[in-house]
Amino acid sequence: MIPFLLRRALQAIPTLLLASVLIFFVISLAPGDFLTPAKLNPNISPEQIANLERSFGLDRPVWQQYFLWLGNMLRGDFGLSFQYQQPVLGVIWPRIVNSLWLVLLITVIFYAVSIPLGVFGAVRQNSLGDKSVNVVLYFLLGFPSFFIALIVLYFIVQARFATGWDIPIGGMRSENHAELSPLAQALDIARHLIIPALILAITDAAGLTRVIRGQMLEVMRSDYIRTARAKGVSERTAIWKHTFRNAILPIVAGIGGTLPGLIGGAGFIEVVFAYPGITPMLLNAINTQDLYLIAGFTMITTVLLIIGNAISDILLAVVDPRVSVS
Amino acid sequence: MKRAMFVALAMTLGSAVAAPFVYPAAWTAEQNTANKRGGEFRNYTISDFKSINPFTDAEAVSIPGTLEAGAGLFIQDPRNDELIPYMAEGAPVVSNGGRRFVVKIRPGMKFSDGQAITADDWITTYRIHTDDKVGSNSYDNFFLSKKPITVRKIDNSTLQFDFPQPSAKALVLMSYTPWPDHIFGAAYRSGGAEAVKRLWTLGTPANQIVSPGMWTLESYQAGERTVLKKNPYWGEWNKDSRGQALPYLDRYSYRVTTDLNAALAAYLAGQIDTFAPRNADDLAQIKRAIDGGNLKATLLPNVSPQAQSQWITFNWNKASDPDKQRLFRDVRFRRAMSHIANRQAMVQLALGGLGSENYYSVYPIFKNYISDAAPKYRYDLAQATRLLSQIGYTRKNAQGYLVNNAGKVLEFNLSTNAGNTVREQLGRIFADEAKKVGVKVNFTPIDFNNLVGQLTAKGENRPFDAILLGLSGGDNIWPFGQNTVPCGGNLHSYNNPTNGACLTPQESLMTKLYYQGDATLNVAQRRNIGAQLLKAEAELQPVIYLVGGNFHVTFNERLGGEHPRELMDAYYGARNIALTFIK
Repeated sequence: MIPFLLRRALQAIPTLLLASVLIFFVISLAPGDFLTPAKLNPNISPEQIANLERSFGLDRPVWQQYFLWLGNMLRGDFGLSFQYQQPVLGVIWPRIVNSLWLVLLITVIFYAVSIPLGVFGAVRQNSLGDKSVNVVLYFLLGFPSFFIALIVLYFIVQARFATGWDIPIGGMRSENHAELSPLAQALDIARHLIIPALILAITDAAGLTRVIRGQMLEVMRSDYIRTARAKGVSERTAIWKHTFRNAILPIVAGIGGTLPGLIGGAGFIEVVFAYPGITPMLLNAINTQDLYLIAGFTMITTVLLIIGNAISDILLAVVDPRVSVS
Repeated sequence: MKRAMFVALAMTLGSAVAAPFVYPAAWTAEQNTANKRGGEFRNYTISDFKSINPFTDAEAVSIPGTLEAGAGLFIQDPRNDELIPYMAEGAPVVSNGGRRFVVKIRPGMKFSDGQAITADDWITTYRIHTDDKVGSNSYDNFFLSKKPITVRKIDNSTLQFDFPQPSAKALVLMSYTPWPDHIFGAAYRSGGAEAVKRLWTLGTPANQIVSPGMWTLESYQAGERTVLKKNPYWGEWNKDSRGQALPYLDRYSYRVTTDLNAALAAYLAGQIDTFAPRNADDLAQIKRAIDGGNLKATLLPNVSPQAQSQWITFNWNKASDPDKQRLFRDVRFRRAMSHIANRQAMVQLALGGLGSENYYSVYPIFKNYISDAAPKYRYDLAQATRLLSQIGYTRKNAQGYLVNNAGKVLEFNLSTNAGNTVREQLGRIFADEAKKVGVKVNFTPIDFNNLVGQLTAKGENRPFDAILLGLSGGDNIWPFGQNTVPCGGNLHSYNNPTNGACLTPQESLMTKLYYQGDATLNVAQRRNIGAQLLKAEAELQPVIYLVGGNFHVTFNERLGGEHPRELMDAYYGARNIALTFIK
């Protein structure tokens, strides 16, 4: 185990270096920079723009900027965000925490929906229930989640008009949040989280449900399941212990890849629901070319991806006796 | 003894009866006669705040910008655009040929932490803004033609401003917000620019923020909500026409909604009190909600034009293509292009009928600077054809495009920034109309940053033919752009050679008039110079102005105290927040 982790850590060094070069230069190669919009501002003089370029270090050659950034990162300093004028970590941390709550809830709903549905589809293949689930899922698969979110928003507003209920339409907390008791505060956040989480989890579950269904069907037709059934194990054991455990191996192998997703936010749904997650901030950073904010965040997700892959391999060794990490 | 008593008495009286600033009753359509107090104005913003530090802030809507409401030596009266003493006790004493202003500060003003506001606060603020290591966005406001404006302290309540030359905007430039010397000055003296930049980040506890204005920070939640509460000391020197302390409201809050559709939904659901409708769709949805009885709100479409314009500029510096350069430098060609611009169709199709036609660099909202003496080259295809034939484009080829005697087709490339749907439509309409008279316009939207790079390029051979873009901002005191009108400015987009020299006598005249008007303190004289400048610019037609959007107002019925309808416009807004109250 220890040698495995050490090996992984060593392998990570060139990967991260290469990633940092790519990230930094791809962002820098984009036309213009953070100060381009200022050049269109009739009230900012060229002297002031030159002055800001100096203070942001944008007047230096790109390779110099890169080495400065890399050196600072080794000391744990991800640089200053141009927009916020403060260290990158301080800017993204509260957003990551907010996104984390939403993504965790989405993940729970996502698996809670797709595993039972996938297994059901395989066990009752081509039944009326299976077919109707398939139709709905295919329908959802074809819609981008943010579009569904906009439609849902419209209906929420109509429902508010019709019933007068205070259904949250975005944000993370109500306006009176600060005055509530701790339990009521948790409930308040949950109320705000549940609608975007449901929308995203259910639209995403469409894909995974199909995968699980296919995997289950494949394993159910294998010889050892027939042997198990012949041995006389109960239907339940045959499905959950023998089939399901083998069917989810590819999914477990991919779980590590979801770790960066945990801090990567829930995408456009955060924008539509005015949720204070990482996505709106990141989109803003990309639009304004806030170099160090994008680069810093991308580096952190890369590190998480490497850690996630290591975790995946360990998990795979746990569920699959044929695999070992040493 | 008696005399000493008298002097002491006079001194105490003098400090105790500091005259407050009284808000004219005419600034509000609805007098708060019942003195209704308390409540919250719930506003929204489309991007999260980036900083609380007034020296590093560069946002359009920002926390420091909100703290600045109700601070500044002079403010503009929306009735006549005049600057009236606000934090200043009275009019400035002007000397030295309109270059020196001595201003007495209104006594009795305090920051939100109870400390007195004194001359030191103005001096420190000025020092920090002008330190180029700070990178303040207000840096340029302390320079005129690259020469510094200096601020001196005469005594604790008297300031002396020395301008390098007379300036129409002197009172505006003097009206910067004073930030507390006991916070920023202390940091600046001990740690310089770096220490100032580290102050007041988003992580700073709200109770450490000190404001000179109407509001002070109560709470900030990243990406969600920012709440400001009233500065208790501000009401001591700000009164309504009946002598009541202002503001009436207790709180002013921003909800962050990155997506404007989400903001609209929140407005329709009554969760925010105002919204800036973008287009006919927004207006229709709000109207439906009001008519259906689901939303109790006021809706006023087309209150005024926006302070913005879209335009097409032609590049006069094309050494690589002498034919095109000659064409773009020909005033008849540019007038023909203005005749091709079907502004009415642009308003109808691209802006959903909710826009205004533009003919000048001065936005139509600044009516005092628009004069009929300046020509308008209105939509007229026959006239465009006539002008183009004068240049030598008399025949059309098989494809229906105009050619000259050498057989060269009349064509040019036009670009705008991709993703801006309005500008893409404007370009399309322009190209379609141009085809009708036989002009081939190759219209391609490109990346915004590339476009800005091309537009602001200097030299004899700049990398574009024509660009469709927009500008916004400016003021009604001298509404000509300092970077756009004079030769050599980085937004003098049509002619920007390496040495920045003028090419035509009209440009030289416009440059001269710009500086002349900018240095004229008398309003009537300045407007007269503005009219001459507008006429010269319109005749030269260096830039073809097209259309601008309109400003619409809507707010929830909870709110009272908005501007009278005739004072509402995109420049002064729908209300003075100090006079706003919850019914």
